[in-house]
Amino acid sequence: MTPLASGVVGPRTLHAEFPRTTDELATLVRDARAARAGLRLAGLGTWLTAGHPVRAARTVSLRAMHGIVSYHPADLTLSCGAGTTLAELDEATRPHGQWCPLAPPGTDLTSTVGATVATASEGPYAAALGRPRSLVLGLECVDGTGRIIAAGGRVVKNVAGFDLTRAMTGAWGTLGAITAVHLRLRARPVVDETWAIRLPSSDRSALEAYVRGPLAPLACVRHQPPNGESGDPSLFLVRLGGNAAFVEASRAALRALGETMPQPPDALDAWRAFDDPPARALSWRWDPIAVRLRDRFDPDRILNPGLLGEPA
Amino acid sequence: MGDSHVLVRVPKLLVYRSDALPGLQRAPSLAVFPGTRTELIEVVRALAAAAVPFVARGAGTGLSGGALADGITLLGLHRLKRIIAIDPLARTATVEPGVVNALLTRAAAPHGLHYAPDPSSQSACTIGGNIAENAGGPHCLKYGVTLDHVLRATVVLPDGEVLTLDRGDVGGYDLLGAFVGSEGCFGVVVDVTVRLTPDPESVVTLLADFTSVRWAAEATSRIVAAGILPAALELMDQATIEAVESSVYAAGYPRDAAAVLLAEVDGAAAGLDADAEAIERLCRASGARDVRVARDPAERARLWQGRKKAFGAMGRVAPHLVVQDAVVPRSRLAEVLDDIAAIGARHGLRICNVFHAGDGNLHPNIPYDANDADESARVHAAMKEIMTRCIAAGGTITGEHGVGLDKLPYMEQLFTADTLDAMCSLRDVFDPARRANPGKTVPVRACREWHAAAAARPQAAGT
Ligand SMILES: Cc1cc2nc3c(=O)[nH]c(=O)nc-3n(C[C@H](O)[C@H](O)[C@H](O)COP(=O)(O)OP(=O)(O)OC[C@H]3O[C@@H](n4cnc5c(N)ncnc54)[C@H](O)[C@@H]3O)c2cc1C
Ligand SMILES: Cc1cc2nc3c(=O)[nH]c(=O)nc-3n(C[C@H](O)[C@H](O)[C@H](O)COP(=O)(O)OP(=O)(O)OC[C@H]3O[C@@H](n4cnc5c(N)ncnc54)[C@H](O)[C@@H]3O)c2cc1C
Repeated sequence: MTPLASGVVGPRTLHAEFPRTTDELATLVRDARAARAGLRLAGLGTWLTAGHPVRAARTVSLRAMHGIVSYHPADLTLSCGAGTTLAELDEATRPHGQWCPLAPPGTDLTSTVGATVATASEGPYAAALGRPRSLVLGLECVDGTGRIIAAGGRVVKNVAGFDLTRAMTGAWGTLGAITAVHLRLRARPVVDETWAIRLPSSDRSALEAYVRGPLAPLACVRHQPPNGESGDPSLFLVRLGGNAAFVEASRAALRALGETMPQPPDALDAWRAFDDPPARALSWRWDPIAVRLRDRFDPDRILNPGLLGEPA
Repeated sequence: MGDSHVLVRVPKLLVYRSDALPGLQRAPSLAVFPGTRTELIEVVRALAAAAVPFVARGAGTGLSGGALADGITLLGLHRLKRIIAIDPLARTATVEPGVVNALLTRAAAPHGLHYAPDPSSQSACTIGGNIAENAGGPHCLKYGVTLDHVLRATVVLPDGEVLTLDRGDVGGYDLLGAFVGSEGCFGVVVDVTVRLTPDPESVVTLLADFTSVRWAAEATSRIVAAGILPAALELMDQATIEAVESSVYAAGYPRDAAAVLLAEVDGAAAGLDADAEAIERLCRASGARDVRVARDPAERARLWQGRKKAFGAMGRVAPHLVVQDAVVPRSRLAEVLDDIAAIGARHGLRICNVFHAGDGNLHPNIPYDANDADESARVHAAMKEIMTRCIAAGGTITGEHGVGLDKLPYMEQLFTADTLDAMCSLRDVFDPARRANPGKTVPVRACREWHAAAAARPQAAGT
């Protein structure tokens, strides 16, 4: 077999291997299992320290498995390699008036879709347009035993068999290394505008009622200044989307809550880049059933060993 | 529990020998109907102690033979029908598994809320059965399937362990996501907390009338691709319209139409008319003869009654009805429907289509006589061809009814050996002894490790 490409990944310049096909990755996992040596999984390597330290000498990045495999705008579905970045998805879908509204905080859209699904990272559009768990229709992965699993499907509704897609989504690569994903897309709203709003008091209940009500916006987040300062707690960014009549009514409802100021279309993207990474994986629950799940898909703890602080 | 809630005599057990799928019959050896949560858990523990396999059953409206118990114990859950709590502020409800879907919505109505997943069987099916099948329904196009509305569940595993499952949002695997849709093979739902959805401010229901099924399918695809997200988009073909209009459920559908599209938009009043107008425009551009808007709630209810009772209406045509449940990409609906018509004609069968077009979720229905061996064989052959066609179009074999016993033979067509083996591993996490609903959903021969283990043991647990 031709040697795997290798190079450097992540801000901390880890030396990584870059398998280009699922079969190459499966071989790597099987070999690692035979040698009882762990593998650290990575996409672009931007968030590798969010949990416990990984106890593995080798790093495998899925970055080389990138590119859109199929895209059917009429069906609002798309399949791509796990190493595809969210920016690449944005670029491909924009000309069709569509988007993949996964937009986790922390990075610009250079993060990989595989990592976003593996960590079930959600962004400001999750409530309105879907969380990773409902936008992923199916995926392909290699589990810790080296099995190549093609879970779920490419159509928007599917209950054939047990739901491996849900089990893998948000498992942080401890059950399988995701190699490809099948996504459902959303249409971009006809009218799309972003506003900043300053609430007249620290009472947010009126804003919350608006966000939960029939005129709900696409997103509503607290404004973060770019330099890491704590900022003004009464200042929010709100993105409105829908047809003209809906947005008009939604804008009027927003204005009734406080002083509004128009923002550039990418205001929310800038917001994303400055959020601190939460150490979500630190509080992982290792109840007996979680241990059983790990045991069934990665009995020798080959994938991301230690990341979730699992019991030895 | 009382003797009246345990059945051992054959005639009484025969009542439970089928679900809503005709042609498949299996009788349980024993049926138990716990009345409380504690009794349910105790029964499961007693079954575990005796290593006895069992099948949970809600209302038995399943369409894949999933609730059949073949000479094993049937665990009936219809007595567990308490709505434990409704929290209007949090917009949640906690209920026992035997609660009938529509009764939950009725209980939430005074708070301006409803339970969004609405299978057409909602007046009978139970929430427990909905979770086991990850049930859908007409309004799932916009609101999502059962999984999107379940927040937490208490389950009793087949070994008697009681667990709370959630979506893993605060640091954990998505165990609830894995459990929903597991067709009674992972354990029994003891109680569940579901999300309730605010009633929409406004609703517009339209009926578009087409002289070609192909055009109706094309309209569907155009509406979705245009970025409009209707609450529902349901297609009924000529054979279905005819059955509905000849029945007591007559809805006023145009009898000479080749297909009608029932579309609904809902939500904030602002902008709704614009969406409805866009739907009308797209339907006309796709060749609709006419588009009618329901003027009042009574007319709207009538249009929906025809759709929701379509299966019942077909019941008048022949003694039995098989309902297939496949999914294809929306943009391929038209060609697949053409092929389904050709398959029906070739086998001399009358295939009626009534389905969730917005999701590409087909329901070809064949009214027939299950006691007529020749006709049954032709139905079987046609179904198989339809499934193969849908798989070839990039689709799947079930969108909401589950695999059960009925669709087992297609699983190996759809998934690789490794993937099926991984499904068995997932099952092992919850039910390593395979005592819950044995032999369903994933073909047993697909489980390599299980095979090896079973061969090593002189007797597999519970068999
Ligand atoms: C400063 C910062 C702040 C952030 N804040 C948030 C936040 O507030 N909320 C939030 O939800 N997310 C947050 N994130 C997460 C981040 O935006 C996403 O997880 C992103 O998708 C990471 O992309 P990546 O390709 O660099 O992943 P990586 O950093 O390479 O990997 C992230 C994790 O996923 C695993 N992984 C990567 N690829 C795969 C694969 N193909 N299969 C299996 N496992 C894989 C890795 O092992 C690692 O544990 C933050 C990240 C940063 C850097
Ligand atoms: C006329 C008609 C229309 C229908 N329309 C739709 C539709 O639009 N959408 C749709 O999705 N389905 C539809 N169905 C199918 C059926 O109603 C659903 O599959 C429903 O979810 C089954 O619920 P039930 O309570 O009848 O379950 P049952 O048929 O009793 O059982 C189904 C499965 O669930 C398991 N189960 C039941 N209760 C539990 C529990 N508490 N814990 C664990 N497992 C359990 C059983 O073991 C079995 O495998 C329709 C059926 C009919 C007859």
